[in-house]
Formats: sequence, structure tokens, C-alpha cells
Amino acid sequence: MSVFRFLPILFISFIAHASAATFHVVIVTASGAESGTRGQSFAGIQTRVERPVRRGVELALFESTTSFEAYGVAAELKIIDLNDQQPIEAQLAQIPTDALVILDLPKSEFTQVAKTLNALERITINVRHPDTDLRDQMCLPSLYHTIPSERMYFDALGQFLIFRGWRKVLVVHGPSKRDKERTEILKKSLKKFGAEISDTRQYTLSHHPDDRDKNKPEFLTGGASYDVVAVIDSDKDFGRYIQYSTRRARPVVGDVGLTPVGWHRTLERYGAPQLNERYQKFDRSNPLTSYEAMSDAEFAAWSAIKLITNSLSVAEMNGAVLRPRQILKHPDTQVDLYKGTRGSIREWNHQLRQPILLATGEAVIAVAPMPKFLHPKHYVDTLGLDKPESPCQLN
Amino acid sequence: MIQRQNKNDGIAQTLACVFITLMSLGASINLAAFEAIITNERSGDVIHISDDGSTNHVTKLCNRPRGMTKGIDNFQVLIACSDDNKVITYNTKTRAIEAEITKVTGAMNLAFHKPTGQLLVTNEGSSRASVYELESGRLIAELPTGLEPDGIAITGDGKLIFVASENAGLVHVFDGATYQPLDVIRTNLRPRRIALSNNELWVSSEMGSRVEIFDAKTRIKKGKVIFAPKGFRPEQMTPVDILFNPKSNEAYVALGSANHVAIVDTKTLEITKYILVGRRAWGLGLSPDAQTLIVLNGLSDDFTMIDLNTKRPILTKRAGLIPHSIEVFK
Repeated sequence: MSVFRFLPILFISFIAHASAATFHVVIVTASGAESGTRGQSFAGIQTRVERPVRRGVELALFESTTSFEAYGVAAELKIIDLNDQQPIEAQLAQIPTDALVILDLPKSEFTQVAKTLNALERITINVRHPDTDLRDQMCLPSLYHTIPSERMYFDALGQFLIFRGWRKVLVVHGPSKRDKERTEILKKSLKKFGAEISDTRQYTLSHHPDDRDKNKPEFLTGGASYDVVAVIDSDKDFGRYIQYSTRRARPVVGDVGLTPVGWHRTLERYGAPQLNERYQKFDRSNPLTSYEAMSDAEFAAWSAIKLITNSLSVAEMNGAVLRPRQILKHPDTQVDLYKGTRGSIREWNHQLRQPILLATGEAVIAVAPMPKFLHPKHYVDTLGLDKPESPCQLN
Repeated sequence: MIQRQNKNDGIAQTLACVFITLMSLGASINLAAFEAIITNERSGDVIHISDDGSTNHVTKLCNRPRGMTKGIDNFQVLIACSDDNKVITYNTKTRAIEAEITKVTGAMNLAFHKPTGQLLVTNEGSSRASVYELESGRLIAELPTGLEPDGIAITGDGKLIFVASENAGLVHVFDGATYQPLDVIRTNLRPRRIALSNNELWVSSEMGSRVEIFDAKTRIKKGKVIFAPKGFRPEQMTPVDILFNPKSNEAYVALGSANHVAIVDTKTLEITKYILVGRRAWGLGLSPDAQTLIVLNGLSDDFTMIDLNTKRPILTKRAGLIPHSIEVFK
């Protein structure tokens, strides 16, 4: 990308701004607290992408270069990797007042840091956790969520099933607490759009013959009438063995098969191929293959930065710093998400509204909201908790 | 008109048949005949259509033909073959490729300035636009833009060049003679196409759901048009192509995912009509007599012809796969 070589020289001549306003971006990580097997299932088999979101942030800042020039903004990126030697408060003290703080942390560290920074009135962004409790119960005024909520993902799936006429759903879930919680959310989504749950069954990893009703997909999916099997398998432990092994010849959706995602490497429309190509190539020292794309967390981190840099026209820049809080509160703040519909913030729970892709490993099959699922106010607000339903009412 | 008189007079059905025959005769006699060429991104071809919507010919061209504009001769078109990194000259009469400029990285959209013979191309993945001498194919200048340059336009006098960068939300302005950057216009989200008329610069903002209007010389914002057809939410308006009617005060804007085309009064900036067309309406063409508007529907692989007297769609017919751009000929 030759853009960097030309731009600084060319633009200086007609930029009127005497001094640029600084856009402070901070990524908070805790590499020591991350599980040593990120994205791996049993026997070290990689089943999901869990990597730091930094590349998504850097891509967004790279993309914003010309906007920064045009609006007189200079970005500064800082990484804080938390350790367990010093008190967290002390480590977070170096965050500038008007920073946009991207939290790339496991759930427990996330909760602690989000609360601490909320008390300090720093703007934080959740880019990793779809968990509904962070939105509905924790509901912090300084916390924003650019990763879709679990409800948004499952609402997209629910709409797709109804759209296809697959109304009878067999739900199969794993034994973990997280699997059970997510199953309850899935059920709410299925009910919301009028699907019927044929049965709910729990998988077990035990190979004992007595457990064969629970560990053999043929038995687990037998003795019920259904159009589709929905699998909840948060750690991708067993779900990948359900496809092609069901008693009836039925499609599999959920955490395997057709999956609701925030971003995908094969989206063909809305400029997405260019964004994917840029993600692979923009960092010349570390290019990625054309099979690699942003994970949902990386895309969420990218979205958070772009939400600010796409909305510089609403920024009140009367000081030396850009104030993300002011921009995020502005009703005209919006972001081009390369998914066909712009994104914006739901003021009641600070969730980024966005379309959800329904994809297999090879293709994007549909982009939700599905046709005929209409909302009186906002096109994508049939996905996730709407204002009247939300326990979180920040505005 | 004949049909309406017929109904009012209450003449018998047999006569109606005669009138309908007359009407169809009248259509072919009164309306100026035209032919149009449509580039199809996904099927890699152009189709030749006639004024009744029928496809007369399909020419397999290249990989991902997108932007198109008229060439040196009236029967020539220039076509950007994006995945082949070239711009070709296509003769619409002989249906043959007559020339090509190669190594045009990510050729996206085109503008041709006939008096000086300059071809302007946006290079989608390279954050720049390129200027070529069409006759020789010589590269004259490279203009640095923001990411994802798309729409490009040059003023009639050749003095100003405008390039919209989708990702950057900016329109870069260059001197048409020295190619030096003159200015940057801040636009709303995802600026796509630029149309010039009477010293006004109209820019469609695909994700901002609006068209913004600037003074081409001072670059001061003069107005905006925000779309809202019935039954759609604001964020579903994703305008792309803008086309001015040279014979009236009308501008047409294809509204993308809103599946409508809007008619805008260029004097008052009021939206006078929304017309339902196919899915993701984006490319626009106008018949030489300015009586028929042709809308390309990018997601339903078809095109809709609209009678501009009645402001109603006449027909929708199959195009190639992902129709992108259209040029209309007498």
C-alpha cells in the first residue's frame, strides 16, 4: 500500500489545523491470565480463532489515516498488559482521561477492569464477550459493546430458521454452565420468532455404554421429530461430530454448521472483500494468508475505532484531545461496517447495532435481519433486546 | 394517452383491441429507438439491450467488468475490467474489443474528458486514481486518494477532478491540468458516486443514506437530500448512482437496498417521487430522448425501465450476473 508514502507530504500543504487533536487508544490485555490453549480443544486441535484484537485496532487506525489528516487528528496507540504483581488500579492509572479503552481480557478480568474504569469515568469497549449479563445486569454507563450480544446472534439464527420454514428445532447442548446459559438464550430467541422446540438434549463426553443415549449422535438425535438440530457447544468439544451423524437427515446450526457470526472471510458484497484483503496485507512486516480473516472480536475492535473515526464530523474538537465520550453520545454517530447497513449505538444498553451473518465455513448464506422481520424504528433492532425489553436503561 | 381516451369514451372491446395495436405501433414510432450496453460484474460480459428490454447480444469480455463510459467515438465505450487490471475500448457496433490499457490496478470507475482525450480511472485497492492519454494508453499522472476510491468526475472545462474515497469519507479535489491536490471535501459515510451539473457537485453517501451537494468551485456544502420511502427505515437507504436529466430539472438517485429510485427536483431539492424497482438498485442510464430511465438492480440481476412521463416502471427484464454500469445509445 503506497498510500503511506505519499500522503504525509501531499496533505500538509492544505491542512489548516495548526495542531492536531490526539485520539488516545488504549488496549488493555492480561496475557498472563489467558488460557494457555486459546482456541484449542482436546488434544490441541484448533477449533476456533482466539487471538489478540490488536491487529483489528491497527487496521482501523491505518484505514483512518486520510480522515485523520482531513480532520486534524493524530492517533496514539498504547498497550497495557496487566500483571498480577501490582494493584490493577495502579496499572490502569496511566490511561489518559479521554482515551478509548479496548478491553481484550478474559471475562473475570474484564468485569473487574470495566468496573474500575467506569468508576474513573473512562470509556471502555467490550470486544470479546457476547454475554448478556454484561449488558443486562452490569449495564455500566461508561461501557460500550461492539461485539454482538448472544441474543443478537441467536435472534439472527431464529429469524433464519423461520425464514426457511424450519420451525421444529431439536436443541442439543453441552454440559458446561456456559452451554446451559446459552441454551436458555437460544430458546428465548426461538420462541420470540415462533419456532417450536421438539426436545432439549444434553450431550456427554463419556464413552460408557450406559451413556450412549447422550454420547452417540445417532441416539442423541433419535426419537424426535424435527426440521433442524441446533447445537450449543461453547468450547467446540463435541458439536463438530453431530453434523452428518444425526438420526434424521437434517441440517445442523448453532455453534457448528450454519453459524451466526459478526464477520466472515467470504462475504462478497458491500466492499467486504477489500476489507478482508486489507486485513491480510496492511501490515507488511506480518502479512497473513488469504484464508485468514478478522475474528468476531477483532472485527468488534476494528468497529469500535471506526465508529469514532467515521464520526469525526460530529466531534467537538476545541481542545488538544478527541473525546470519544462526546462522539459516542452523539445521535449522528455511525460506522460503515461493510455489511450493507451502517452501525450505530443503542443508547439504552450501549450495544453496537449491526447485521449478523449466517455462515458456514465456506460461505455467507444470509445476512440477518431476514426479509419480513420488521422493526418500527430501526432496521436491525429485531436482533437483540429492544429498548422496551432491556433491563438496562442507560438513557 | 390513447388508452385513457378509449376508456373515457367507453368504446366497445373490439375497438380497444385496435387501439392497443395502435398504441404499441405508436410506441415504436413515437419514442426514439435506443440501444443500451450493460456491464455485468459476475458473468464477465456486456449485454446489448433494445428499448423494448430484449437482449440482442451478449459479448463475453473480461473478468469483473464494472465502470463504463463513452469513448472517443459515439459508438465506443470504455470498460474497467477490475480483476484483469485493464481498461478496454469496446466497439458497440462491431461488438469487438478495439484497444486495451493494461496494468491499471483494480480499475473501478471511469471518466473520460473528450476535449483533452484524458481517461481517468479509480484504482480501487491502491488508494489512487490514474490519468491516461486514451489514444496512446500512456500514464500521465497518479493521484493519491483515500482508501477505496470509487466515483470519479471531471468538470466540462477540464479544470477540476473529483475522486470519492469510500472508506475515507472524503472527496479529493485535483487540478485538472497540473494534477496537484487542491482540496479535500468531507462527506458523510461511504461516498460512492459523483455527478456534476451547473457547477454543483452531487455526492451519494451509501452508508449515510443521503446525497450531499457542494459548490464545485468553493467546495462549500449547499444542501443535502435525505431519503425516506414509505415502509423503509433510514439506514436501509444506500444510494449509489446519481443521474441528471439534461432536459428537465430532475435528478435520479438509485437507492440500493431500499429497492427504489428517487426523483429529485434539482432546484428545490425536494423528492418528488419514489419508484419501486429491483433489489439493490444502483446503476442508472437515460435514453437519448430523456423519456426512459433504466435502473440496474445489482442483487436481482435485472434492470427496470421507467417511463419518465408517467413516472411508472414499464418493464423489468433479466440482465447478466450483477449488472453494474449502463450506457445508452441512439
